[in-house]
Amino acid sequence: MTTARKSLIEVSGLTKHFGGLTAVDGLDFVLNEGEVLGLIGPNGAGKSTTFNLLTCGYPASTGSVRLDGEEMLGLPPHRIAARGIMRTFQHNMPFEGMSVADNVLVGAHTTMRSGLGQVLLGAVAARAEERKARIRADELIDFVGLGEFRDAEVTTLSFGQGRLLETARALAGEPRIMLFDEPAAGLTPSECDRLSEIIRGIAGRGISILLIEHDMRFLLPLADRVVVLNFGHKIADGAPDAIRSDPKVIDAYLGEAGGVGAASGGKDGVRNA
Amino acid sequence: MMAGMTGLVSQSWFRWVAATAFLCVFPFLLQPYELDLYRKLLFWVALAVSYNFLFGITGQMALSHFAFAGIGGYTVVILLTQVDLGLGLAILAALLLAAVLAFIVSFAATRLEGFYLALATLAFAQLLTVVLDEGGTLTGGTGGLTSYSLPAVFGAKIEGPWYALVMVAVFLATLAILVRIDGSWFGRACRAIRDNTEAAAAMGVDVARIKIIAFTLTSVMAAAAGMVYAFFDNTVNPPVFGLENAFLLLFMVIVGGSGSHAGAIIGAVLLKMTQDILEPIVGHYHALGFGVLVVAAILFQPKGLIGTWDNLRARMKRGKGAK
Repeated sequence: MTTARKSLIEVSGLTKHFGGLTAVDGLDFVLNEGEVLGLIGPNGAGKSTTFNLLTCGYPASTGSVRLDGEEMLGLPPHRIAARGIMRTFQHNMPFEGMSVADNVLVGAHTTMRSGLGQVLLGAVAARAEERKARIRADELIDFVGLGEFRDAEVTTLSFGQGRLLETARALAGEPRIMLFDEPAAGLTPSECDRLSEIIRGIAGRGISILLIEHDMRFLLPLADRVVVLNFGHKIADGAPDAIRSDPKVIDAYLGEAGGVGAASGGKDGVRNA
Repeated sequence: MMAGMTGLVSQSWFRWVAATAFLCVFPFLLQPYELDLYRKLLFWVALAVSYNFLFGITGQMALSHFAFAGIGGYTVVILLTQVDLGLGLAILAALLLAAVLAFIVSFAATRLEGFYLALATLAFAQLLTVVLDEGGTLTGGTGGLTSYSLPAVFGAKIEGPWYALVMVAVFLATLAILVRIDGSWFGRACRAIRDNTEAAAAMGVDVARIKIIAFTLTSVMAAAAGMVYAFFDNTVNPPVFGLENAFLLLFMVIVGGSGSHAGAIIGAVLLKMTQDILEPIVGHYHALGFGVLVVAAILFQPKGLIGTWDNLRARMKRGKGAK
């Protein structure tokens, strides 16, 4: 199934050393078009480092990350966004002095085509674009269920609502690829369910998704395919069902949470690992 | 938000027309001394509005704003009296010089934030006063340049209340331009940079580019205001464009409510009038009063006077809703 799909992001031989520590070691994986790919692993597996290499313009020690066959490693964050890759933050990063609607509109930055001169002269095209962006932002705010907070200051939102805002803000950039950095972290179980639903909806719009997560119970039902990291190495790459029963994966998680079985068993062990 | 949009537009048009009419008629009702206070007040208000965009909206803690007003004022006078350029060319050249200098300063400053940006722009402002002090006949040294006058425009001498209208025009143009771009993607990008630079970049905002544009644009606006100022009393001298006024401008924006156009205007009017009233009575000690005001604003109401006003209005609305 996955082999028929076109690959969007190709990571090959990605390696990052911090002094004597190798956080990511020769990592290879592919994100295919229209796919929900999960990247998981226990604490310290190299998930966050990988995410930062993909989005923050971090220099890697060696390796490459190609988008449509073009190298994107080391591009500054705003250029990565301009290439259609939008992200959320693990620790919510709202624009605190702005309303919910304006936060989402900032996400639409890369979609705005009118120049400053057109804005200044009140050009018809600039006004039309602004109107369209506002309508679209309103739709996205409704899509994530924050409709009643549209004009509220973002400081009035709860942490869970803040995560939804992050999601709407990233979607406003009309991305081809959405990267979620530990989206379930800090959410209550019901907020997790709500977010899962939204992520399914995003995938349903044809947007490819990379989820970095260590909550197996959140991730496995969502992902089409899962890449498992441990100590900077890829130890498994396959369908969620295969991952669940992979002895290497069970081994990696055993040390800290009593095995992957616990994840589907409904215990909180893995969630908090 | 979309509902009643047409109503909002016409209401805002009405406000602009009413404000313009008031600002233009008012100077004709004033005595010469009051007129002098009025046009200087407008000069400060114009600077506060553009500085608010730089500091309050884009979050760039720069202390070079008055320096750019000085560059505008000095350059236009020097070009008129020592280079013998025509008025139009002198204005254009002075604006261009301000834009080039602002671009260079902001380009160098994009790697700096907060404290370091303040230091770098402070150094620039200090450097300018040194250049003005030591500039010999070109800048007139510590005494500055005097005894020049505004050339006639199409054969007409612009004087008295008519010249105040030039300041009104510069203020309104500054405000209109900044209000308009504030409501666009550009203004949102500026506020996003102020609130969270990392998140702004992740949303595709080219942080360095937006900062450079905001800095250059607002600095050129300061230069334009400085040019008009140069012909108020037909004298420019270094202390006016020094650090004391740069800090007073900062205080105005903080006390009024940084990030708000109305706040900047209120802060500038209040502090400038306080200065005009207190200075003859207590002399230089009026600065002490400003210091207390600023500390109070930072401690008790970081959103300034306009924040207090918003809170009051919200409370009144809630009160009505409860009945």
